[in-house]
Amino acid sequence: MSVLLAMLFVLVAASGTGVVLSRTPRRQVLAMAVNGLVLALLFMALQAPDVAFSELVVGAAALPLLFLVVLASIKMDRGAR
Amino acid sequence: MSRRLRLLLFTLAMLCTLPAVGRIAAHMPRFGAHPLPYGDAINDAAPRERHVTNMVTAVNFDYRGFDTLGEEFMLLCAVTGVVVLLRGARGQDLSAEPGEVVGREIADRADATVLLCRAIAPLIVVFGIYVALHATVTPGGGFQGGVIVASGLLLLYLGEGYRGWRRLVRSRLFDAFEGGGAALFVAAGLAPMLLGRPFLENVLPLGQLRDMLSGGLMLVVNAGVAFAVVGGFTLLFIEFMEETRAVREGDDPGEHPT
Repeated sequence: MSVLLAMLFVLVAASGTGVVLSRTPRRQVLAMAVNGLVLALLFMALQAPDVAFSELVVGAAALPLLFLVVLASIKMDRGAR
Repeated sequence: MSRRLRLLLFTLAMLCTLPAVGRIAAHMPRFGAHPLPYGDAINDAAPRERHVTNMVTAVNFDYRGFDTLGEEFMLLCAVTGVVVLLRGARGQDLSAEPGEVVGREIADRADATVLLCRAIAPLIVVFGIYVALHATVTPGGGFQGGVIVASGLLLLYLGEGYRGWRRLVRSRLFDAFEGGGAALFVAAGLAPMLLGRPFLENVLPLGQLRDMLSGGLMLVVNAGVAFAVVGGFTLLFIEFMEETRAVREGDDPGEHPT
């Protein structure tokens, strides 16, 4: 196992822990996006570029966006009452 | 549930599962080892039998294409579910005002953002089309290319704002992409049956190895998946972004205008 892979594994573990430890939902979504980005890098390093493409777009962009929209929608609804 | 009870439950669950997890972890194959024969078999067979160099595409769209059809319809059902749940007129008018959150200001879009999005979005869309077109040759394929195109289209929202984005990205077109893509996949499966062959059998000419137009029927299936994924993800984005607009009188029954 190369140094690059070892570093990426540590990064994945660290960013995953970051998702669990962040308490506010908005920060948690951003931490999840970072985790998705690191995972995409790991898949790239493991020579699975097709999985990396999907993870990059779905895990680091689409999913966080949907969560952010939901959080904003909840906030708007609460502000209206 | 009190903190102590939760800790107790956690410890109990750990005690029950930890030995099993430890045992499995100790018996895992070495990192990078692949003891199963299927990968090698596909690597050997696919270039010979199907004239393709991307084995993932060969497996997904040919060898187990029927499973992928199920996955395709999972996507269709999920997107349909979202559209049905979030239906309503909220945000459909292009002049809909952005919803407001108390204590958070709506910042103006920076010129740099507009410039960057206008420069990068077309490139990303072209790259996505490239990835989808070369499904049988290089890594990637209809799904990967589709999500890349959809994310490129989403950059238009970041650069042009809601109104400009909705003017460029028409939901009618992407409805057709989503449904038409899934229909194309099914048609590609049924067409061989008209010739008296099994469902989804690769009856088209296979073409040359390492050529973009290799793989026969896989190309049709791949096109169907690409269209369905672009349509599905874009519809998902549109439906969700509509929820960030302010509610007007009569938009959604049961919701109050802000």
